[in-house]
Amino acid sequence: MYLIKNLQYHFMKDLGLPALMRFSQRTKKRRPKKLDTCFGPPLTSTGRLKEIMTRHYLLSRYAEGARPVAWVTSGAPVELLRAFEFYTFYPENHGALCGAQKVGSELCEVAEGKGYSQDLCSYARIDLGVCFSGRTPVGKLPKPDLLFASNNICQTVVYWYKVLAYHWKVPLILFDTPYNFKDIADSDISYMVGQLEEMIPVLEEVSGKEFNYQRFQDVIRLAKEASLTWGEVLATMKARPAPMTIFDAFGHLAPIVSLRGLPVALNYYRVLLNELNDRVKKGIGAITDERKRLMWDNIAIWYKVRDLSNRFAERGMNFVAATYTNAWAETISYLDINHPFESLAKAYSLVILNNNLNHRFELMERLVKEYGVDGLVIHSARSCKPYSVGQYDIKRLLMDRLGVPSVVIEADIADSRVFSEEQTRTRLEAFFEAMEA
Amino acid sequence: MAKREEYIDKEKKEKGKKLFGIFPAQYPREILWAMNVLPVEIWDPPLEVIHANAHLQPYICSVVRLGLELILQGKCEGLDGFLFPHTCDSIQNLSSIVSDYLGVKKPCYFFYHPKSPYQDSSRVYYLEQLKGLVARLEKQLGPLDSSQLKHRVQQGQEVARVLKQLYDLRVQGELEASNADFYRVVRRGEYLSPDDFLPLLEEFLAAAKGSAQGGPAVIMSGVLPNPKEILTLLDELGVRIAHDDLLNCSRRLLVPPSRADDPFEALTESYFAMPPCTTKDSSVSERVDDLLAKVEQSNAKGVIFYMVKFCEPELFDVPQLTGELRKRGVATLLIDCELNQNLSGQLATRVEAFFEMIS
Amino acid sequence: MKYFLGIDVGALSTNAVILDVRREIVGYSIVQTGANSTEAAEETLEKALVMANIDRAKITSTVATGYGRISVPFAEKKVTEISCHALGAYYLYPDTGTVIDIGGQDSKVIRVGDGGKVLDFTMNDKCAAGTGRFLEVMAAKLRVSLDELGDLSLQASQEVQISSVCTVFAESEVVSLVAQNHPTEEIIRGLHRSIVNRIWSMVKMLGIRGAVTMSGGVAKNRGVVSLLEERLEQPIHVHTEPQIVGALGAALLALRLAQTAT
Ligand SMILES: Nc1ncnc2c1ncn2[C@@H]1O[C@H](COP(=O)(O)OP(=O)(O)OP(=O)(O)O)[C@@H](O)[C@H]1O
Ligand code: SF4
Ligand SMILES: [Mg+2]
Repeated sequence: MYLIKNLQYHFMKDLGLPALMRFSQRTKKRRPKKLDTCFGPPLTSTGRLKEIMTRHYLLSRYAEGARPVAWVTSGAPVELLRAFEFYTFYPENHGALCGAQKVGSELCEVAEGKGYSQDLCSYARIDLGVCFSGRTPVGKLPKPDLLFASNNICQTVVYWYKVLAYHWKVPLILFDTPYNFKDIADSDISYMVGQLEEMIPVLEEVSGKEFNYQRFQDVIRLAKEASLTWGEVLATMKARPAPMTIFDAFGHLAPIVSLRGLPVALNYYRVLLNELNDRVKKGIGAITDERKRLMWDNIAIWYKVRDLSNRFAERGMNFVAATYTNAWAETISYLDINHPFESLAKAYSLVILNNNLNHRFELMERLVKEYGVDGLVIHSARSCKPYSVGQYDIKRLLMDRLGVPSVVIEADIADSRVFSEEQTRTRLEAFFEAMEA
Repeated sequence: MAKREEYIDKEKKEKGKKLFGIFPAQYPREILWAMNVLPVEIWDPPLEVIHANAHLQPYICSVVRLGLELILQGKCEGLDGFLFPHTCDSIQNLSSIVSDYLGVKKPCYFFYHPKSPYQDSSRVYYLEQLKGLVARLEKQLGPLDSSQLKHRVQQGQEVARVLKQLYDLRVQGELEASNADFYRVVRRGEYLSPDDFLPLLEEFLAAAKGSAQGGPAVIMSGVLPNPKEILTLLDELGVRIAHDDLLNCSRRLLVPPSRADDPFEALTESYFAMPPCTTKDSSVSERVDDLLAKVEQSNAKGVIFYMVKFCEPELFDVPQLTGELRKRGVATLLIDCELNQNLSGQLATRVEAFFEMIS
Repeated sequence: MKYFLGIDVGALSTNAVILDVRREIVGYSIVQTGANSTEAAEETLEKALVMANIDRAKITSTVATGYGRISVPFAEKKVTEISCHALGAYYLYPDTGTVIDIGGQDSKVIRVGDGGKVLDFTMNDKCAAGTGRFLEVMAAKLRVSLDELGDLSLQASQEVQISSVCTVFAESEVVSLVAQNHPTEEIIRGLHRSIVNRIWSMVKMLGIRGAVTMSGGVAKNRGVVSLLEERLEQPIHVHTEPQIVGALGAALLALRLAQTAT
């Protein structure tokens, strides 16, 4: 049985799905896009990205039984799991996808019907809604054999994964990363290394595979290179005009989040980087008339990305940096194949959301300077407390210390019901007036 | 007994204690006691929120909001430091707002406790965290006297022992005290020195023994019994809170004793033996078992989930807990409200309807 | 002849029901609560007495319910509207397993067992979305009367989606929908849908058992009822005077009170 499933998985991964997808692409009628004069030519890599992500989700149907399946939080050190050849599924990424396809709110309602408060993170509510109803825009989710969470991005994911563990009756591994209040101590590092070592026997048992150190090192190398390349991708936006916008980058983020440590992610970013470098050389901008350069704070408002993107582009405003997209370029590059465990501990515990707010401000200051940022849009996301608590002070400090104007949008990552069109419009218009004055 | 402010003031002026403002929830108070510090816990100061809204979004819980308000209203001037345990995302970020952004000129300490599921590494780490905290505190407060620590650890166990006795009597319906009185006394431990808290508890124990009124028993789960009006309302209805699963009460006060000789070992052992808690990421099944045991012991008819609005750690577990309880015929009531906001008519109606349902 | 009185002082309406010993309704009334609930209780009692054509002295016992139950000085007993709606609905429709009461300020879903006993219940949170008040605010914005809402909604061939969960946000959403010239009926239907979604999630939390009975003023709104029926995939019992169900339950309790006393 396993053998057949395994063969099927490989066949679909390497041959079947690509063929199928080419077929379905051909049959789908291409709608002639209204060329918007505000935007430069679209990135050709985007097609490739869609292919990769569609394949990833389609493959999940063949993963059950063929591969051990793990559901993983976006900040967890997945490199260790890759060494055991887990098929990994990222509920947060899936939540973003549901948000972008505007089905987030209805999935939230399913969870609310089961008693989950509307005040809880919408990624979590969406994911639970999917678990309870089986409904998802990607067809079907692979049942987990293991849950893998790290609280380096929030405590919320752990509360949420505890519910999943209870629902699916599968083990939950937690990578507990002490908060970096002032400094990270040796005892913190050894605690994290200790946990990683303790995971190995569990992972061996769930996957039925022995830990292969060399494979692990390979994964670490791939992850690090992908992260560095992603960093270079982002850095192309230092150019004027920037060859892409952060709204594009929100999409291109998917592989570094969910396919990190696999060759496909690295290869993709190399292709993307080439295209971007080429655009920089030719002076092609993401928007045709780049007059102001902005930075985005917090996770995207997935159901409004297109909308917002148009609204800013119309005014010659381009987003060139974001603390969010930067998160996958900032610390994963600390990885070191010679000290895989220690470096994992460092790379994952020092991420922006597990770090004090001084660090956050310094990071923003650096991005403002390096990317020539004129103003900030701060998304206050109900779902995400570690990202949002402190933003009001950040706003004040940005003005006091750097003279950079900013605007706060009260919204949410994936639940469009808490988005107030009117309120947002008024705030943005005031911000545009301030920026243009 | 003196009011909170007066008491704290006296401890500082007359006994030369240092005062630390402590945010929720779990921290090694024995270490502070041993270093001549009076830990003053900040849970629900009775303030009108004026300034904190400029720093916190509307979707942040009122524990965090009121705690920050206390600082912003200048009511923490007399304190010698703050301690922030790693309780939840909101407190985590609050700690950094206070320490990094507000320009508060007081030492701020952070205490990270390992999360469940516990491994060997968790135990090693907790012990190191205790020692690390001591090392940081020593820079401000001078060296820790190890015999003092030993004494304070014993005293902490003594406090826990009397509290356990009180809880046991309550479970059996042999404590006369009203809900309001019981929690008023228990919550005095949030700022009293153990030298004063212990005699207070013993006095209360002696005075309050006697059979409780005959109404139905319930269990209260959540963060803290605030708004307090619910306690009096339950008293009026004749409902006894026979046990609780409150973060600021039984979940951290009913600490099982440790026989370890070394005080750090003893504190570590106690930490890992505490009742399951959301702020330590205890699994749902541990929490279910714990609640069911409490229901059974006290023959409770129902469980009231008294939630602080926006408290994620608590709210995530509620559907599973209520599901399991209902399966076993235990009634549940979920209420979420802001601290110090009185019980609205609507909430009072819910509580009364719940009472009508279980009696 | 002895009579038994139930009074329900709600956020918006104050209602009375008088029963005789055979448990027959001999009089009832519905008045606006207004600013003074004690006065409203007096007024509604007077009207019900007129209808029953009896003297006030004939009332043997009184039970008050509703959020203003404490303001009924002459009531022997005060009971929450949760218990009363359950009893009232069970009396009217003995196959009732679930009661949905949508009043002005609160909406409740109640699971009812044998004899009209409350098995479980849930209520909306503090926010007014999903209550009758929400519809009133919106009707005022749209300049239609409450009575018209139901029919207009049934006439709509399409509906607009109201995405906001909050009354304040929804209000501004309605303003912009009006500005975009969306037909009023379609907006109303969208608003009804949003109430039904709210109620639906409360219903799902408890799970449906047996027949569903709707009480409270919003049950008069046929638009809401029909959308809810569609969603529940089953018909809903609605009494001709859904607002008196709570008072009816209270009157039944008053009768029970008198019987146990003797
Ligand atoms: N004729 C009508 N047509 C449609 N809807 C109506 C009509 N009359 C009243 N309503 C609705 O009923 C609501 C009032 O319901 P009801 O009288 O049951 O409230 P209440 O019992 O006073 O409030 P609560 O139970 O919240 O205290 C109004 O807000 C309105 O939306
Ligand atoms: S109430 Fe909940 S969210 Fe608020 S401080 Fe306490 S644990 Fe954190
Ligand atoms: Mg009513």
